Amino acid sequence: MSPGSAILATRAGSAGRSGLARRPVAVAVAGLALLAVALVAGIAAGSVTIPPGDTLGILGRRLLGLDIAPTWAATSETIVIDLRLPRVLTAMVVGGGLAVAGAAFQGILRNPLADPYVLGTASGAALGAAVAVLIPVRALVLEFGLLHGLAFLGALGAVFVVYRLSRVGASSPMTSLLLTGYAVSSLLAAGLAMAMYLSGAGLRQIFSYLLGGFDASSWGRLAVAAPLIALASLGIILRARALNGMLLGEEAASHLGVDVRRERAILLALASLATAAAVAVSGLIGFVGLVAPHVVRLMVGPNARVVLPLAAILGASLMVGADLAARLLGEIPVGVVTAVIGAPFFLALLRRARTGYEL
Amino acid sequence: MIAVDGVTVLYRDRAALRDVALRIDPGERVAVIGPNGAGKSTLLRAVAGLLRPAAGTVELGGQRIDRLDRQAVARRLAVVPQLPTLPFATTVEEVVALGRLPHEHPVRGMRPVDRAAVAAAVDRVGLGHLLGRDARELSLGERQLVLVAMAVAQAAPVLILDEPTVHLDLRHQVEVMELIADLNARDGTTILAVLHDVGLAAHFFPRLVLLDRGRVVADGPPSEVLAPDRIREVFGVDPALVRLGA
Amino acid sequence: MAAPLRSRAPRARREPRLAPILAALLVPLLLVLAACGPSSVVPTPPPDATSSTGPATTATPAAATSTPAPTFPLTLTDDEGTAVAVPSKPQRIVSLTPAATETLFAIGAGDRVVAKVEDIAAYPPEAGDLPVVATFEGVDVEQIVALEADLVVAGGLFFTPPDAITQLRGLGIPVIVLYAESVEQALAGIQAIGDAAGASEAAATLVASMRADFDAIAAATAGLDRPVTFYELDATSKIYTVPAGSLYAEMLELAGADPVTTDDSYEISLEELLAADPEVILLGDDADYTTAADVAARPGWGDITAVREGNVIPVEDYVLVTRPGPRLADGLRALVEALHPEALD
Repeated sequence: MSPGSAILATRAGSAGRSGLARRPVAVAVAGLALLAVALVAGIAAGSVTIPPGDTLGILGRRLLGLDIAPTWAATSETIVIDLRLPRVLTAMVVGGGLAVAGAAFQGILRNPLADPYVLGTASGAALGAAVAVLIPVRALVLEFGLLHGLAFLGALGAVFVVYRLSRVGASSPMTSLLLTGYAVSSLLAAGLAMAMYLSGAGLRQIFSYLLGGFDASSWGRLAVAAPLIALASLGIILRARALNGMLLGEEAASHLGVDVRRERAILLALASLATAAAVAVSGLIGFVGLVAPHVVRLMVGPNARVVLPLAAILGASLMVGADLAARLLGEIPVGVVTAVIGAPFFLALLRRARTGYEL
Repeated sequence: MIAVDGVTVLYRDRAALRDVALRIDPGERVAVIGPNGAGKSTLLRAVAGLLRPAAGTVELGGQRIDRLDRQAVARRLAVVPQLPTLPFATTVEEVVALGRLPHEHPVRGMRPVDRAAVAAAVDRVGLGHLLGRDARELSLGERQLVLVAMAVAQAAPVLILDEPTVHLDLRHQVEVMELIADLNARDGTTILAVLHDVGLAAHFFPRLVLLDRGRVVADGPPSEVLAPDRIREVFGVDPALVRLGA
Repeated sequence: MAAPLRSRAPRARREPRLAPILAALLVPLLLVLAACGPSSVVPTPPPDATSSTGPATTATPAAATSTPAPTFPLTLTDDEGTAVAVPSKPQRIVSLTPAATETLFAIGAGDRVVAKVEDIAAYPPEAGDLPVVATFEGVDVEQIVALEADLVVAGGLFFTPPDAITQLRGLGIPVIVLYAESVEQALAGIQAIGDAAGASEAAATLVASMRADFDAIAAATAGLDRPVTFYELDATSKIYTVPAGSLYAEMLELAGADPVTTDDSYEISLEELLAADPEVILLGDDADYTTAADVAARPGWGDITAVREGNVIPVEDYVLVTRPGPRLADGLRALVEALHPEALD
């Protein structure tokens, strides 16, 4: 056997690992199946027991327009259609959006520890929500209260401030963004602590927002949040080329035809928008946006074109599953579930990535 | 054709390049040499359109590079960057595939023609045995070769290399030089490389550009550029120490 | 370090501004929101405690202005200023505050209550078997829907999570939100529950008798000394007491005390407490956990006049002191019992 053919043999053998065309399809199919199971289980479970046959009948009648004579109570229909369905769909959209935003932040900042909250969205949203609790106005716009509005604006405002501040005298934009994000987050956290101190009876409301959850989901809220999250996520997915270029750093990305500054600004805006809409509708739920992209990368490699859509599917499944677990365990906060699942997983991930993230 | 005309680049108050003029015709093979801090890398960055000169212009094929978008530049000019970091586990094949970013379909991504170009680049640089390995676990020299393969996959008429041999042992240095010479001779790729090793430059490049303190002090065949007096003056060493390959 | 040192170029181009990009993304959203129509925008004025002295109800029929018994369908304005439509006399009522549970039973609507909030006082006993659909952790909206509730009485000032209220209303269930920052507001709340439940007259009778109770107790304490009184809500880690202008503070004043109050939060520092030097300390935390001896043993508390003179008094029935239900006067009586036991003889 000649050395040349040995090299060819190695290449043929490694093609299975690198087969970029086949493997993502299998992962996508598995992910969609997982998501479907989570959605069905999420609709079937709840504090009121509704027989699976009734649940299927209700879904068939209301969603598919099947001609099924109701054998169930009208309230069962309300619970399935107006409470559980919007709830699992909100969890799906939020989980998918956070996963895509997390993948984008990790790519833009070239930091595997980045998550959707790293540039101040979380602390900005939390402060916004806390301030809203202090303001005695009970207005509702499209089923959203002042709390959700200020949380949304707080998240976007925080990122905007971080972005602007990071550009002042920065020699390394990515490091500067991260450090500025940390500094601004700390400052906002101080504001949050102050607002919580002043909130009196509203403290519980702030706390419940900080823990996050989907128990307050409704069609009305979903109709506002879902298009925002979906469009922002789609925008990120369509910019996969730029994220791929940034894999080797911003200078290499420029050489590979990426207008780094422009793309970075657009990606930051889109990822922040998706995050802000997600946290406005569901509060602060950690780990999904951090872990989902990593799991996908472990399976299919770092190509953003593949990672982003798969992360969306996985993040959606994880979030629906976490919400289901939270409900079955007696309405414990979803953030607790995602942390309990996510933190050990993340530790395992860190051990596995033995070379760290410096080349 | 690359035309650098009267380019001055300032780093804060210090001039990294002063009034540099340079003309490189298609199919040429040019090495930029000079002592540390002479402005070699700055010249490459200016040619690649990564920085805006305080004065002067850079043209690529008759068009000012600062008026081309980055993708158009990347299709005409590939750069082998200095070793970057990788935030995530990335196989050699995935890194080489990044060279196709300027060409791939905006939505569908890599097409068969792109995959073929990646496979060809891998073969040409001889990385077949490393294809599925995590690029972060390779030796520095191997990583350097991966980046060369990425730039080859980019299939641009101009190839720019910034110190492509710093991390390589002698055998790999020679291999990379021969690869560059081959790309130049067989494919007609225009080569512009910054080289530390004056001997290697003199051996493999028919034209050298000597930079010193931001100025072009000599430009021509190695025998002219590396005149003993000039070596003593610019590098501050005994010319006898510089082994000229030719 | 693996990568060689690299010099950084001066910034070649201006960074694109994030603001226009965000604006470009947000404008379509705002247009969508605008297209959805301002009809769904329901601005409500901030709650105003002083204005709700009378029964906070307006019956839909114009004739209701003089009669105390509105007829269904009716629309009443709750303590948050929300106009709540109750289409017919409720038959399946869910109570999300302990005070509302007590009130509903006291006005004879107890047999129409189908579910309640968790209540540490477990009162009245007849409510003991009702399903619990709300705890400190949250409200089980699914259960309320399954019970086919046609009226929900919820607590304001974040007692009931606002999201749950929004959700219930979104499902077409009438929710009245009540809270009490004064005795008058508590009485108005009882009347509002009566109106919403179709038991206006019973509520009016209850309110009248409570008012008489309050007047009698207030008259008994009117001429007495008013000791500087610290009402302890909790002092296990930080010290919590009553805010000025709260129902707590008013109850203490009616009971013949000069309460030590905080500005807007419930928290008070030990320094402020020492400066106020209360003559009486009322323990409103659970007597099983906190005793006068515990208070005397706390570092720094020994110099307080109340501690030195042995005027640290647990309040029996402390739960009633701020429960704006039918037993609120009993709460006042418990305070007077602690402060001026002789006044009630």
